[in-house]
Amino acid sequence: MQNNSTKIALALSRVSARFEDDKMREVPVLKEISFSIPTGGFASIIGPSGAGKSTLMRVVLGLMKIESGTIVRNFSKPAMVFQNYALFPWLSALDNVAFGLRMSGVPKKEREKIAREKLKEVGLEHLEKHYPAALSGGQRQRVGLARALAISPDLLIMDEPFSNLDTITAEALKKDLLKIWRAYGMTILMINHLIPDAIELSDQIIIMGARPGSVREIISIDLPRPRDTRSERFFKEVDYLTGVIREVS
Amino acid sequence: MIRSVARPQDTAWHRSHLARRRRTWVIMTGVILAAVVLALFGYFGSVGWGALAEAILRTTYRLAFAYFIALVIGVMVALIVGWLSLTDTLFPVFDVLQNIPSFALIPFFIYFLGYTDLMIILFSVTSIVWPILFAVLTAIKSAHRDLSDAATIFGARGFRRVPYYLAPLSYPSIITGSIVGIAIGWESIIGAEIIANTSGFGAFIKTASVSGINQAAIAGMFVILILVFVINRLIWAPLLAESSRRYAE
Repeated sequence: MQNNSTKIALALSRVSARFEDDKMREVPVLKEISFSIPTGGFASIIGPSGAGKSTLMRVVLGLMKIESGTIVRNFSKPAMVFQNYALFPWLSALDNVAFGLRMSGVPKKEREKIAREKLKEVGLEHLEKHYPAALSGGQRQRVGLARALAISPDLLIMDEPFSNLDTITAEALKKDLLKIWRAYGMTILMINHLIPDAIELSDQIIIMGARPGSVREIISIDLPRPRDTRSERFFKEVDYLTGVIREVS
Repeated sequence: MIRSVARPQDTAWHRSHLARRRRTWVIMTGVILAAVVLALFGYFGSVGWGALAEAILRTTYRLAFAYFIALVIGVMVALIVGWLSLTDTLFPVFDVLQNIPSFALIPFFIYFLGYTDLMIILFSVTSIVWPILFAVLTAIKSAHRDLSDAATIFGARGFRRVPYYLAPLSYPSIITGSIVGIAIGWESIIGAEIIANTSGFGAFIKTASVSGINQAAIAGMFVILILVFVINRLIWAPLLAESSRRYAE
């Protein structure tokens, strides 16, 4: 953990939510979810399909109403990196990164300067004029990350950011993400479907079960950083978490 | 019945569009060759080219006005409906309204506006507006939820959602809706001109047919076909190609 662990960035207490399916039936999607993330912490959520992981992210961001429970949001500038990038196709890479700043009323010159800095941080300064359609998956995800960083978020939510990327690109992006997390000290909440990735990155792993989505176990990872992904302790954590996931699947 | 209009960002749609474009070139080459052969044999000797040009110009100007009005109404209504999240509620209402046969309304237009330019233009608006409205509504309705969430998270909330998210999102659909709308517009304007029988291409071919001057009607049809083709190649094809390139996924 990077920062003061006594301050809580996000806390959910017995949060339940429903959504309407195609036949207009109310389906419970989250049931009594409770967890908290300290400020500056890195938490991962792992669970099978249908566990409501993405719905949980939307609930945290206030994009979806909850049926019951309490959410304490000790953050003011959340940002999100999406699995499918969700870049605006009508904007260049630079304008995509500057989008949040533009919405906050930052003058053009200043927001372009910040956007260029963020593109440089993710290694894409040479592609600022390219539109998303002309970028590879890895490049799009980096633009998505730069867009999130541009608003200097205090909470960064990432929805399976590596799942559409090849292994080499995902590894590089993971390293960059850890560097950025250390530099910014923000709180990160990430949906992850790979157990080793979750252990390598996180302080805390929240394991969810499906139908309806519920928290089955919360595991603290206290391996020293930078984490050695070939160490015995690392493999023990992977084995343990694999066992837990098998039980909830 | 227009339920939706294909979106140019779809790859399959783009492939079939290319095939259609090739077919159009083949057909147009045949049309031009046929016109040249008929002209060489003196078939069009009795055609009053001045009157024909004046009629076509008048029809084109009416179409341009009608299209502009329909574009403003169609896009504005669709954006407001999308912004208010009323798409699902109002889609069936619009569906019923657009099923009312346009020509059934022409007595009302004639009653209130007489046999005037304005009557023909406003009557045509009632035909052109639907494909544009439905295209934009479909684009908003079928947009990926992540893109909508990204717009919200990064600050495109309230009315700012319209210029910074909904309008640019709808751009490719405005083009496809316009292409379909203008095709329907030619029909409705020429139909209204035939009924009103005062001026324009519809009145020209009606007069020519009644007077037994079939060459004039056929020459008019050749000119209209070539005009539609030229407008399509010079205006719509480049816009469509640009939106396909930029909005490709």
